[in-house]
Amino acid sequence: MKTAAFLIAFLAFAGLSAGQQVKWNYDKLAARASETVDVSLDGSLLRLATKFLSDDDADEAKVKKLVAGLKGIYVKSFEFKKEGEYSAADVDAFRAPLHTPDWQRIVGVHSTEDGEDVEVYIKNEGKNIGGLAIIATEPKELTLVNIVGAIDLDTLSELGGHFGIPEVEVEKKK
Amino acid sequence: MNLEDELRSALRRREPSPDFTDRVLARVSAAPAPHAARPWVRWVAALAASVLLAAGAVEYRHYQGERAKSQVLLAVRIAGGTLHKAQRKVQMLHTAHRSVS
Repeated sequence: MKTAAFLIAFLAFAGLSAGQQVKWNYDKLAARASETVDVSLDGSLLRLATKFLSDDDADEAKVKKLVAGLKGIYVKSFEFKKEGEYSAADVDAFRAPLHTPDWQRIVGVHSTEDGEDVEVYIKNEGKNIGGLAIIATEPKELTLVNIVGAIDLDTLSELGGHFGIPEVEVEKKK
Repeated sequence: MNLEDELRSALRRREPSPDFTDRVLARVSAAPAPHAARPWVRWVAALAASVLLAAGAVEYRHYQGERAKSQVLLAVRIAGGTLHKAQRKVQMLHTAHRSVS
């Protein structure tokens, strides 16, 4: 009886934790930022959004397919007027919830030239990707992305490459 | 006459005049009847209110959907752009490393 109760509690906890967003506390940075972008979409809002994404527009159709099975998208981007508005400890605090066996860092790019750092983490759920987290820092900008659910990284990157983000930025330095 | 007698006289029971009931009934029947609304007016008002509420709900849902759509596009733009940038940098480093070796 006790084993069954434990099993039920464990499965309930596992079910809850599988679809949860990363707990990041942004309050300190939000107070210092000159501009903030805040996107917070749970499963029901994502489902609603997919109804409004067009099948005729190629990009929108791809986005629609990409987000169809997701449970949440959370993006926070802070812009600061001057450098040094956030510390290494602030960034460490964002990394902390990702230091669990579920999460795996797949990319870590550090550029001393322009001071840009990007870290990409994926959440492993068996053989599938159960979530994505990105921490991107620049001297006057900090961006946090958390996608909950099975995400196709190639499609996301491909969309990001021609969806208003200039991809020549990196190539210029060649 | 003392106070007790005055009170007794003032509060003594008096019978109404014989035509009192007739006069009251005559006044009641002479008073104008309250204006009753026609039943169809209520139905039309209820229907109009329902249509307005439904239209408002549809409009609000549409607004929410369009807002959610633009937020999804913005999120994909930021997340995809950041991921793409990281991938490009990794590719660049990989290419540079290969050309050196």
